[in-house]
Amino acid sequence: MEPLNIAATSSTPAIHLNTTGAISIVGKSYPENTFEFYRPLMEWMEAYFDGNAAEQTTVNMEIVYFNSSSSKLFFDFFDLLDEQRSKHVIEVNWIFHKENESALEAGKDFKEDFAELTINLVAK
Amino acid sequence: MKFGALENILESDGIIFLTYGGFLTQALISGMTEALELEATKNDLSMKITGNLFTIFIELAQNMMNYAKAQSDQHTGNESKGLIVVGQEHADKNSYYIISRNLINADDKSKIEARLKSIEGMDKEQLRELYRKQRKSGAGKHDHGAGIGFIEIARRCDTLEHAFEPVGDHRFFLTIKTTIHKN
Repeated sequence: MEPLNIAATSSTPAIHLNTTGAISIVGKSYPENTFEFYRPLMEWMEAYFDGNAAEQTTVNMEIVYFNSSSSKLFFDFFDLLDEQRSKHVIEVNWIFHKENESALEAGKDFKEDFAELTINLVAK
Repeated sequence: MKFGALENILESDGIIFLTYGGFLTQALISGMTEALELEATKNDLSMKITGNLFTIFIELAQNMMNYAKAQSDQHTGNESKGLIVVGQEHADKNSYYIISRNLINADDKSKIEARLKSIEGMDKEQLRELYRKQRKSGAGKHDHGAGIGFIEIARRCDTLEHAFEPVGDHRFFLTIKTTIHKN
């Protein structure tokens, strides 16, 4: 299974997905069509958990700001991870700038919504 | 023609950071967001304020873009252009505002009116609960933001006002004004 790398733009994050289990989404997220933009990520993740997953999967998410459809998409992304929780070791690092209160609040919301999933709120 | 007058109109209501009237595209929205980032750096705004400003700006601008697209799909001509203004209040230097104004049809008016009514008078904690509930119940739906856009805006601003003005029989101007306090 090939890694998936998508470069950042002014309105979309850099995405790096690797079968070593290193998953990262870093940047701003307000695509014109959110579901189209993230479709390759969601499809890659489905295929990854379908027999290609590493022993441990570490997801690093560092989103400076995002629109409401991205918020919805991230919820679906966490939902996908949550479904794999019993079969795989998954850890999510929700990384935010220590002064970015909204990013911290967004992380807390996800943590409460997916209480069984390991989501670390990491200030930097 | 006195070109100076143009600037006076814009300045009379405080300091304008950004104003745009016309058809919105994604490229314009991300360019304007970058311009706002520069203004924010220049004015030494906190990350909390800038995050709220950018998020509300993007939400309103993308809403306008999506309604305009829907309208032009219905062949209603080029009247679907909108206006968006970001500035600092003149009287009260401690707050910023974002105003959006665009044409919508009667169907959209009822949808938007219902959404805005449902969040009226809610405090931040109630908004947070509603946001999470809506986001969850919309799981898997590929609708634009599953109706959480206005809740997102309400969570991030201090005041949210709106007005509908009829234009002809079936269309309305929707004007939304949000303010964000610096402290």
